[in-house]
Amino acid sequence: MIESHMTRRSAVGRLTWAALAAMTASVRAPAASAPVPDVRTASTAALFRSLFPHDRLSQVFYTRIAAAYVAELGRTPGALEQLDQGLGKLDASHIAPFLALPAVIQKSLVEQNIHLSFLAAALMRAPELLYRDPEVWAMIGYQGSSIEYGGYKNRGFDDIDWLPQAGAIT
Amino acid sequence: MTRFSLEDESVFVVIGSGAAGGTLSNELARKGHKVVCLEAGPRLTLSDIVNDEAVMFDKLTWLDKRMATGKPNPQFPVWGCKTVGGTTMHWTGACPRLEPTEMRARSTYGELRDTTLVDWPITPEELAPWYDKAEIRMGVTGKHGMPFLPAGNNFKVLAAGARKCGYIDIDTHNMAINSISRDGRPPCQQLGFCTSGCAISAKWSTLYTEIPQAEKTGHFELRPESMATSISLSEAGRVNGVTYLSGGKTHTQKATGVAVAGNVVETTRLLLNTRSARFPHGLANNSGLVGRNYMRHFTIQVIGVMPGKVHFNRQTHLAGVVRDERPHRPERGFVGGFLISTVPFSPEILAKHLLPGGWGRDLTSVLDKYDQLAGLLMTGEDPPQLSNAITLHDTERDANGLPVPVVHYEDHPNTMAMKTYAWKQGRKIYEALGAEQVIEMGDDIPATHNMGTARMGHDPKASVCNPFGQTHDVDNLFISDGSLFPTSGGCNPTLTIVALVLRQAEHINGRIHTGRL
Repeated sequence: MIESHMTRRSAVGRLTWAALAAMTASVRAPAASAPVPDVRTASTAALFRSLFPHDRLSQVFYTRIAAAYVAELGRTPGALEQLDQGLGKLDASHIAPFLALPAVIQKSLVEQNIHLSFLAAALMRAPELLYRDPEVWAMIGYQGSSIEYGGYKNRGFDDIDWLPQAGAIT
Repeated sequence: MTRFSLEDESVFVVIGSGAAGGTLSNELARKGHKVVCLEAGPRLTLSDIVNDEAVMFDKLTWLDKRMATGKPNPQFPVWGCKTVGGTTMHWTGACPRLEPTEMRARSTYGELRDTTLVDWPITPEELAPWYDKAEIRMGVTGKHGMPFLPAGNNFKVLAAGARKCGYIDIDTHNMAINSISRDGRPPCQQLGFCTSGCAISAKWSTLYTEIPQAEKTGHFELRPESMATSISLSEAGRVNGVTYLSGGKTHTQKATGVAVAGNVVETTRLLLNTRSARFPHGLANNSGLVGRNYMRHFTIQVIGVMPGKVHFNRQTHLAGVVRDERPHRPERGFVGGFLISTVPFSPEILAKHLLPGGWGRDLTSVLDKYDQLAGLLMTGEDPPQLSNAITLHDTERDANGLPVPVVHYEDHPNTMAMKTYAWKQGRKIYEALGAEQVIEMGDDIPATHNMGTARMGHDPKASVCNPFGQTHDVDNLFISDGSLFPTSGGCNPTLTIVALVLRQAEHINGRIHTGRL
């Protein structure tokens, strides 16, 4: 259905995307000290948010991760072309570019295209970029390396206080 | 530093420096024999070990090309290590013994369709004193006066839920991780990075125990970054040298005897890749069983989103066990049993494996509650099947020009029945404590327990090695790793490997002293 209206895609010019991207970025991240991302990065950021949505993470964060991903792909011949083609498919709805769509429609577009290799590649790499990031760790309560603090032996490895008989268990 | 000449024919060559190779090397060197240990990977120091899973994965893991058919990941079927210390670098330290009923699997379980179930050719009574020696050597907690490790949060959740489910055989597990200072190594500091190498050496690894001890004897030489490629045979049909790649060159070390301890995939590859007129199908493979009966325990997990904070990443990974499902109770619908242990995962590993291929809010809503997660791991017996096998690819070659190993594995119906039951029981443990959500994680982390491909037995037609790990076909060739296991039992294999190797070392020592090696 959505994919059959490919003709609308051509009506949405690259400049329009850039404007939308800038708008979306500035709306979602009012403290927009970060530079305005290019269309490719902005669309990738929207894709990453759709794949791994965390309400507590800002658009600036997703854009930073997307920029790192795009930079990585730039070092592999043909990889950016594959990404662009894939993003093109996501943009092929008759409604609006992917990055400007409501989350529920973005999700449905990702579902329809999940078999594409650019999405498989993103599903492999994006979790590494996202969940190795200290900003995400701070959000979800993971601290990373502990050896410099002497581990958790004296820092609460056994501090659970809500279990029925926590004190009785040894 | 002791150095042996390549021409020294009195040297005993051990291939691999992990639980089997490192321990065997040390034991033989202590008995006064000259030992050269060839290790494919580099020698790290403690300062190379950092609390970063991704960095340590790259430093420790065997990443040479492998292939697979059937169930395993086709690019990465087996998670092993290529480093001095082998898999004792990334192991969790869990040291359960095989149950006597497991060592008599065929007698206990009866006939199981499409399997090659057998009884071990060693009795539990014969192995018991070697288990004692291994536990004392490794400092296993809860044994021989070594205190248990303290109870961490993830264990407390497991224990409380398990008790509500009626389980009673529960403690912080028998672990080769120091609970007190011992053997010149400090007690566990609860770093929470057990599988990335223990940065303080509280966890037993041959890198900083067996290997340096062997070096102190003056009878031992470790050659890291030395990849064994073939074993040479004399006219009389005895092994007399090992050829290996090091520094881009080929070398051959002469030998009086050889023990192969490369972990199952590499041990199989070395034997199958050593072909001669006498052994056209691979060294010591007259039985045709080298590489066959490949076993790997299933490892499945259950994650609970608990009603309060757990911080499951902040404790010794596997210091927590429930043993009540281990015994053989066929009324559950399968033979054999499984262990339930604690396990944590980093955010990245959860993101990739919680819901394989998963994305969206189903996944991120769980990750958002990372500090409320509790995790348990279930490891169960895998019956031997002739069709599960490691072979060499006809044409594919790796960067060293060696044939690429192909791992073929499929679950037996017994394994599937056990997993289904295990997931249900694991789920109950967290539900009993009011978990907000419980997620069953699939068997999709690559195998770390590898067994069975050079099985021990009395009959040379039905086994590769005798009960001492000596090959039936070649008198002075030994296999020392998990390849020897005739059946897998329902628990982590390392302690059993060390016990078997200590027993094997005494056997080799006796043969040398009586002039038979």
